[in-house]
Amino acid sequence: MMTPSWILDILAAVMLLVAAISAGRLVAARPRAGSTGDADIDIAHLLMGIAMAGMLVASLTTLPRGVWDAIFAVMTAWFGWRVYRESRGEGARVLADGHHMPHLVHSAAMLYMFVALTAPAAAGNGAGMSGMGGSSGMAMPTLNAPVVGFAFILWLAAYVVLDLDRLPGPGHAHGSYFARPALAGATAGAGSASLAASAVAAGTNAGVAGAQDQAAADGGHTAGGGGLLATASRSGLARALLLSPRAAAGCRIAMGVTMAFMLVIMI
Amino acid sequence: MSDIAVAGGEAARRDSASVATMDSWRPPDARRVLQLSLAVIWLLDAVLQYQSFMFTKGFGQMLAGTASGNPGVVASPINWDARLVEQHTVLLNTIFATIQLLLAVGIAWRPTLRVALAASIAWALGVWWFGEGLGEVLNSGASPVNGAPGAVIIYALLAVLLWPSDRHAAAAPFAAARAVGAQVARAVWLVLWGSLAYFALMPGNRAPQALNSMIAGMASGEPGWLAGLDNHAASLLAHQGLAASVVLAVALALIAVGVYLPRPAARATVVLAIVVAAVIWVFGEAFGTILAGGATDPNSGLLLILLAVTYWPTPTAASAAAAAQRAGAEEARA
Repeated sequence: MMTPSWILDILAAVMLLVAAISAGRLVAARPRAGSTGDADIDIAHLLMGIAMAGMLVASLTTLPRGVWDAIFAVMTAWFGWRVYRESRGEGARVLADGHHMPHLVHSAAMLYMFVALTAPAAAGNGAGMSGMGGSSGMAMPTLNAPVVGFAFILWLAAYVVLDLDRLPGPGHAHGSYFARPALAGATAGAGSASLAASAVAAGTNAGVAGAQDQAAADGGHTAGGGGLLATASRSGLARALLLSPRAAAGCRIAMGVTMAFMLVIMI
Repeated sequence: MSDIAVAGGEAARRDSASVATMDSWRPPDARRVLQLSLAVIWLLDAVLQYQSFMFTKGFGQMLAGTASGNPGVVASPINWDARLVEQHTVLLNTIFATIQLLLAVGIAWRPTLRVALAASIAWALGVWWFGEGLGEVLNSGASPVNGAPGAVIIYALLAVLLWPSDRHAAAAPFAAARAVGAQVARAVWLVLWGSLAYFALMPGNRAPQALNSMIAGMASGEPGWLAGLDNHAASLLAHQGLAASVVLAVALALIAVGVYLPRPAARATVVLAIVVAAVIWVFGEAFGTILAGGATDPNSGLLLILLAVTYWPTPTAASAAAAAQRAGAEEARA
């Protein structure tokens, strides 16, 4: 009794896409001195995407299971510490609304999946979870302590739904969503303002910042000519798309749904 | 690079990881939280529908099994549907699962809320007939302990009660009344819980060993601790079917009429409803047998809990205004 392999293939492809987007976000964000940023979240998504693709499709297995155990244990501890720090300022509210809480749950769910895996999948060569498609004729992997898996499923589903609830509708693309106070003062120069406007037209918040960065990198031109817009918008918009809130939310949503699916078919 | 650009880039970086800070987003009110809870359950249904078992002929056979005992006019379409599913299992099950996924996404995403809730009502009614055989209410097999009147019909009820309309918001004593009004909402509650009380007393459910065998049967395939709970509960109810059914029916009848009582009593009623639903979900339904595999939904217990929460009495806008006026007057006197 196996899940159709094409479903697993599609989900593995989605996870690899999430990993690629996360890698792109890390590059596009260009870490700066003194900036803490959210690189840890993108790194987590990158690693989770790769690990989950390997769990779904045996041929995509990369690292030995023990290595993934260690990676996700460290990741869980890291986000646990981040949530603890966040909770000192915001209290128990972080459990529902915390910035790092979903990533703690994702990391813990990954750790659980690797640690609680029972014999059928672990009986391979020890290189990984051997995929769920059963291409080698092995039995479907199952998890110990399924009630923990069930709790994770509900938790993951809740965060997926919360993320979806916060996604703005199409009607907000040119509305208050982009008129952020932090950026309002940043559109001082005429060139930057034009670039910001072009990024806004592209439909992403981070596009404003991306286009501003691009303008600054181009030598701080302030003449709002069409040529500058065209040059800056191409690379700026690529960054904008990668760094947009929707891309981040999309990655989290895809990861949450896929993780819940994997837990369901293994418990 | 200018400071401005750095500041903007960092702001965007922070935002990229947290959509929660979007300006246009408003924190959910009580009803929105309940809608999101419904979306979570639809999402759970969707991932359950993608389980391996659902892609086998066993799924079609499971559907066919719900026709048993139903009148011909109900059973024939079920059998036709079951045959169709057996012939095109992978395609149809993928469609079914994806529809449920889209319903979850649609309810969770605000711009599509109305469309998704409306679609969920239509889908739930279809599944109630073709997937649950109308919850066995027509074939004497319905019991509140095993999921009557069909878990999926409660999805439809919730979609109606949580419809994003505020025509009756000013006088709504609970969230479920905001869209349809207090009278309609109370009537829905009375019919639902009253029917559960009725089902509890049906001959098949009040037989000496009925509850015992029903609960003991849930232990199969469950984790040890849950199987132990079920077996223990079953042994407590051995040969006590009639007494247990009467107690359950009385509790359900009290719950049914409780929403017509004054607010403190209504609150106690809702608490009782939540407790009874939780007991049913754990002992009678074993969490919808999700932990044993092969479940298509979490069964009725979880949905009854959610439904009960939508009836939690809250101050109406009018009573809150009156209270504020009284407080103002007392302050003025002081």
